[in-house]
Amino acid sequence: MGKRIIFIGLFLIVVLTACTKRNFSEFTDSPIIESYIQPGDYLNLRVSRQIPFSSDVEYSTDDINVLKIKVTNGTKTYNLTPLGNGKYIDSTIVVKEGETYELSFTFNSKNVSAYTRIPEKPLNFIQSDFSISVDRMDRTFGPPLGGPGSMPEPVTLKWDNDDESYYIVVIENLESILDPIRDFGDDGPPGNVFKKPPTSSSGLQLRPQEFQYFGKHRLILYHVLPDYASLYSEKTTSSQNLTNPSTSIMNGYGIFTGLSSDTLFLDVIEN
Amino acid sequence: MTGTEKIPLFFLKTSIFIMMFLWISSVSLLSQGREYSFNSPGNICYFKYLYFAPDSDYAEIRRPFIFILGSENKTVRETMINDTLKDSPVYRNYTFVYLPNNGTTPGEKLGCTEALVDLLTYNSKYGNANLFFQVNDTAINSNDIEANGLKKVFKSIRLQSGQEHTFAAKNDTAGVIPEFRETTLEYKPDKKVEVDQAKYYVEDENNGEQENDSLNLSPVKTYFGPPSALKYTLTGLVHDQLTGEVLPFTTIQVEGTTIGTATNADGLFTLINVPTDTSTLRVQYVGYGTTRVFLTPESPKKNFNIDIKPSSQTLKEVTVTAYKDDVVFVKRSEVSTITLTPVKMAQLPSIGERDVMRSFQLMPGISASNESSSGLYVRGGTPDQNLVLYDGFTVYHVDHLYGFFSAFNSNALKDIQVYKGGFESRFGGRISSVTDITSKEGNQKRANIGADISLLSTNIYAEVPVGDKFSSFIAFRKSYQGEMYDMIFKKFNESSTTEAPDVGTGPGRKFSQSNEITSYFYDLNGRFTYKPTQTDIISLSIFNGTDKLDNSFSSDIPSFGQANANFSMNSVDLTKYGNIGSSLKWSRKWNSKLYGNTIISYSNYFNNRNRSQERTLINPDEVSYSGRSGVFEDNDLKDYSLKSDYQLDITDFTQLKFGVFATSYDIKYSYAQSDTAYIINRSGKALLAGGYLQSRIKLLNDKIQILPGVRVDYFETSGSLYYEPRLSISYNLTDRLILKGATGRYYQFANRVMREDIMSGSKEFWILSDGNSVPVSSSLHFVAGISYETDRYTFSGEGYYKRINSLTEYSLRINASPMGVNYDENFFNGYGYSRGLEFLAQKNSGRLTGWMCYTLGDAKNHFDAYSDTYYPANQDVRHEFKAVGMYKYKRWDFSANWIFATGRPYTAPSGAYTITLLDGSTQDFFTVTSKNSVRLPDYHRFDVSATYKLLMGNRGEKKRRELGSVSFSIFNLYNHKNIWYKQFTIEDSKIIETNINYLGITPNITLSFKLR
Repeated sequence: MGKRIIFIGLFLIVVLTACTKRNFSEFTDSPIIESYIQPGDYLNLRVSRQIPFSSDVEYSTDDINVLKIKVTNGTKTYNLTPLGNGKYIDSTIVVKEGETYELSFTFNSKNVSAYTRIPEKPLNFIQSDFSISVDRMDRTFGPPLGGPGSMPEPVTLKWDNDDESYYIVVIENLESILDPIRDFGDDGPPGNVFKKPPTSSSGLQLRPQEFQYFGKHRLILYHVLPDYASLYSEKTTSSQNLTNPSTSIMNGYGIFTGLSSDTLFLDVIEN
Repeated sequence: MTGTEKIPLFFLKTSIFIMMFLWISSVSLLSQGREYSFNSPGNICYFKYLYFAPDSDYAEIRRPFIFILGSENKTVRETMINDTLKDSPVYRNYTFVYLPNNGTTPGEKLGCTEALVDLLTYNSKYGNANLFFQVNDTAINSNDIEANGLKKVFKSIRLQSGQEHTFAAKNDTAGVIPEFRETTLEYKPDKKVEVDQAKYYVEDENNGEQENDSLNLSPVKTYFGPPSALKYTLTGLVHDQLTGEVLPFTTIQVEGTTIGTATNADGLFTLINVPTDTSTLRVQYVGYGTTRVFLTPESPKKNFNIDIKPSSQTLKEVTVTAYKDDVVFVKRSEVSTITLTPVKMAQLPSIGERDVMRSFQLMPGISASNESSSGLYVRGGTPDQNLVLYDGFTVYHVDHLYGFFSAFNSNALKDIQVYKGGFESRFGGRISSVTDITSKEGNQKRANIGADISLLSTNIYAEVPVGDKFSSFIAFRKSYQGEMYDMIFKKFNESSTTEAPDVGTGPGRKFSQSNEITSYFYDLNGRFTYKPTQTDIISLSIFNGTDKLDNSFSSDIPSFGQANANFSMNSVDLTKYGNIGSSLKWSRKWNSKLYGNTIISYSNYFNNRNRSQERTLINPDEVSYSGRSGVFEDNDLKDYSLKSDYQLDITDFTQLKFGVFATSYDIKYSYAQSDTAYIINRSGKALLAGGYLQSRIKLLNDKIQILPGVRVDYFETSGSLYYEPRLSISYNLTDRLILKGATGRYYQFANRVMREDIMSGSKEFWILSDGNSVPVSSSLHFVAGISYETDRYTFSGEGYYKRINSLTEYSLRINASPMGVNYDENFFNGYGYSRGLEFLAQKNSGRLTGWMCYTLGDAKNHFDAYSDTYYPANQDVRHEFKAVGMYKYKRWDFSANWIFATGRPYTAPSGAYTITLLDGSTQDFFTVTSKNSVRLPDYHRFDVSATYKLLMGNRGEKKRRELGSVSFSIFNLYNHKNIWYKQFTIEDSKIIETNINYLGITPNITLSFKLR
């Protein structure tokens, strides 16, 4: 019996000592940078602040609208002009393919820096067909009759990719009045843009069922850097795997990346 | 380096604790003989005498008695110490009574003897046939004997005065002194009783307690004659009496001695130096209680068959004699070892399926708060650091349905041993612990079938013996997608289902149903055993556990017509994983001292995942990217092994085990984001070969047991040799108190690398060490413990410290460097340690049995990539308390358990931000500071279960055959919301925290039937 008491006592100790402190990880006010730079564009970026997890945090007194941001392309250093709302631009720098850009500024007493380079324009971006046929569908008709033989062919896109670098394809319907392929029912119409995930291959297929609307589509192939591709694989929202997203930005977060693109057009026509 | 600085203090505390126990226990070291008083003080015949039975069988009085009167001025204790007869094995079945030499005259010295003899041998059916007297006092002669009337009391008397005999020590082989030769009654050997091949339930009117029928009564001693063999070697087999199956890891001890052994995996044992062939053996096995086996000169000395029965059949014996039936068999002299058998497991609560891994999670030192893993977190180790052996081959994946159930069908298992740390040299390749599973061979006597049906699965098995040399066992279990399956399945797919609209609404429903989720798991166990001779066993074992998890909202056929089915219909999310393994084993008992087995085995772990990018959902309100990019993941591990293990029993205090092994690994892992582009494509092939030698030495009259050993591995990839010295020691301070300690070095060559991914359900993959970015991991164990046993209770405490080097974690994030891609950089290396104290108190007998255990643990890791200092490892649990109770009442078995554990650590965000992607959609990201700095709320839950026996025959009949049972269980009875993890989302510039909970209250019902 005495032993039982010992164990009950032990148990109480457990319960009493088991209350652990909930000390949330401390908040550091680091800036968020967003910048996609393409050949031919003026170098521009946007600086914003993090959303804090807990409400009582201390923000830095630095104003994100009046930062002194320097950018160098290796030979020359430029000071970006603030446009307000955290936006900055330098209308003297026209971004060039193959160049490397480094930016730096001071925020919250820390030197924030980032670098990127502009990848080469995609080469030999071609399509297997200029149009793709899709059955118009109505919810009352049910699935199309016939077997796989009646299935329309996908359109294949190809480009050169010798070094397994990353590409993404964004597909945009250009019609001013959207003509839906199917009845969207209660769900409402989807948007006119969709994209394929980043790939390090040299081609992909667009299947008829991926399209929502008939008409002219623009296919933009972006040659992107790994840090941009990584945005797609880092949607960590669970406490089990929460880590800081990888980025080339020091003392800050976000994206500062170069890219280049090429464009094709595709008609989605009714079968 | 806070961890290492704390070690000395930690060990100091442990040693103080042990020292205290040492001091307390040293009081009861005198155990030779039992001292009794004859009459009370003041009586003319008051004195103290010593009563000694060399074989410790004090209960039996139908045995020869030798009364010894000490010489002049000698105390009783001195008389006993000087007496050499008692040390000779030929007198093992005798009882010695030492009398004090009181008084001065022969009359005073002998006057009270007759009265004592009458008292002690009252009811002896021999009369005076086996009562002997020895007088060491030289002053007493035969006239004095005559005068005190002792001549007719004893059969013969040896005197010192003027006698021809001297009392020189007799050596073992000299035999019994003629005067003391036992008169034996005619010996009648046991009648061979045919055991009925069925379990019976017998209602006892007196106390309503289940009882044995007359056939099942525990054996009684029938032979009281002299031994015919001394100090001989006995070999044999231990069987389950009902099924004839051999029982592994059964302990056998010669009663009254420290001579003992355990059966091997084939149920074979060798007892060297059995004192006499009239000794009594104590056979103990979890779930089977303790059985006494009385040897007779007619018992075979070789291939002696011992049959024991599950203790549910022998409850009466258990309760009456208080021989315990260990609930958790904390092995006496083994360090950190626990044993469980399905017989015992059947009585524990469960989530609905009797589950071996879940049952072990109720033991100290094994974490119970991780519902989403059947793999064992042993002493701060991760499941992949636990070697799982199934009939000799390694199982790499033990989870069904995201880990809520283990892949091991309890109907197919016979015995499971878990070595929590400091394990022997014969095991290797893992740095934390070992789970050694032996499957059922099947009924050796008659064919049998049985089935279990629960809300989750159907489970059927068949056992068919052919002749007396071949037996087979096949079990198959398959889940069906009932409420329970769906509930768990949805838990894991919650995050993705919220993104994808529900399929089952609207007019499209009919069509979509034909493509409904088709997830299931199944497992298949088979064992085929052939015994061509008495000494050879050939056994083929097959295991296949597979899960198919289909979270697709479409088949591969595009669903054009499904207007309302939405675009989620284009999503494919199919995961198929499992483990297939097989082993062919040949065991042979070469001679009474040498046993060996050779296993050739194959094991394959596969995990194919296709979460392809067909799903391109664009929301009506805002353009948004729907989930992750396409994932094609393929992990394929092949393990071809050959090993030979031998056991050589040299003497009763020296045993040698040695063996060689070779494993050829072929491990592939690929991860692709499209059909063609691989992000990672690793493949490793290597040979791991080596050998081990270990010895078991008993010293100081078997009080100390030392197990030194060494294991040497050659790993082809690194081209190096790895030495793993190991040592464990146990010290039986008294019969009840044992001190234990162990240390050793351990290496692991195939690693499961964590890739935390909730969406996939499979969070890890196996890769082979490359000696570079994935180094060979190693650990160093220190274990110290103490255990104290009484007939009813067991108490044990152990402390451990485990140092782990070269841990690898993997991040599948694409390297952020804008300059190029180098995936190898995504392997992070680190080190860590874990330490802790475990306490267990268990009640082993009576109607109410169970245990309570508490573990104080600390597991920390150090990865430079994450933190500059040690941080709590993901599996770190500070306090864990578990209480398990089982109660028998008539046809009911009730059980309940309560678990409390400190919440696990997690990483909380410090902030968040949103990025607009190139297509105009946005994506949220979180920023964090220190890793695992926050803890989830404490985990606790209470489970209950009740099993009711279904019987054949009519109500009122006293003896009815068991047909099966119906079990009710409720998991998490008070529906506590235990948090599994937290999900963070950003809404209106605020971070919203959502708790994803583990299972709430979950009832289940299981029906079990069996032919016999």
